[in-house]
Amino acid sequence: MSFSYVRSTKNPIILISTCALASIALSPNYAVADGSSIDKIYHPYVQALEQEIEYRSRYQKDSNDNLDGQQRHLLGFGRSFSDRVFGEIYLEGSNDSGESFSIDVIEVEAKIQLTEQGEYDSDWGILFELEREKSDNNWEASSTLIALHEWTDWIVTTNFGLIYEWGSRIDNEWETSFSTQFRYRYKQTLEPSIEIYFSEDSKGIGPVLSGTFRLGGRRKLMWESGLILGVNSNTPDESWKFNIEYEF
Amino acid sequence: MNISRTLLITFFLSAQTIAVAATPIIKIEIRNHLFYPAEVIVPANQKVKLLIHNTDPTPEEFESYELNREKVIVGNSKAVVFIGPLEQGEYPFFGEFNMSTALGKVIAR
Repeated sequence: MSFSYVRSTKNPIILISTCALASIALSPNYAVADGSSIDKIYHPYVQALEQEIEYRSRYQKDSNDNLDGQQRHLLGFGRSFSDRVFGEIYLEGSNDSGESFSIDVIEVEAKIQLTEQGEYDSDWGILFELEREKSDNNWEASSTLIALHEWTDWIVTTNFGLIYEWGSRIDNEWETSFSTQFRYRYKQTLEPSIEIYFSEDSKGIGPVLSGTFRLGGRRKLMWESGLILGVNSNTPDESWKFNIEYEF
Repeated sequence: MNISRTLLITFFLSAQTIAVAATPIIKIEIRNHLFYPAEVIVPANQKVKLLIHNTDPTPEEFESYELNREKVIVGNSKAVVFIGPLEQGEYPFFGEFNMSTALGKVIAR
């Protein structure tokens, strides 16, 4: 690219890999919330006066009939409450476990931007989520530490999640998750990346494309689409994901 | 308080002071949907703190893909944007809410 942005000469791949291995090594029974953790990798930033409508979907293919054909769709509305705090509410529908498709989950989340972009070597944020599965009265609460590091034209974003879930049809337990994204800033409308998901039930890696289109004024359309390939038997062979956000 | 602790605290305070002092601050004003100055000269290979004062009653968004920065500044308020270290060159930015008028560039020398 014609421009170059040099914030650090430290290799983030080594840094992130070290953190990932350390978090796994220090966790005696690392795991992830029941079901696939392949989803969205959050960045730490919040903008004042931001509102958005978001749609996320995931479709799984696998040789195992229990995993094959599962779909998950989320529709969310979010807005910022300041230049540091953003909240969003989602409705989620799925056909997990061979059941027919139904909208059964409601989820709220709050993201807090902890540091100013570019002020330190990495940018930090934290995400809190609370999710309820209505039919089975299952609950899940999680906090996710978000770290983002710029390295020339590469952006490395890592999410470390700590989850507690409880309910009538699941074991009450603590779980953890780790995901990271290596994104190349090719151009605003098209940025390729590699995403990695690592947890007990989901281990996957795959390519993702994303981009942003400006629609004038404060309106923007952000899209993301990718394929995460499972690397163990518990993870679907293919998880196709498509996300779109309309910001206004 | 023993001497070593005093020295340690002094060292950290000095380091913080040096770190803050080492980041140049450049002021930019948004007035009538224009950036003043429209050309912002910054030192190359050094982090810079832009202090942007939006004097308009309406919000503006400082945005630049080349700088990888995006910051909404509500009306009659200030915001901070850290940029760099940048290699020598020109990095355009604009006000996203008034893209036809609010244009500028950072020049790293």
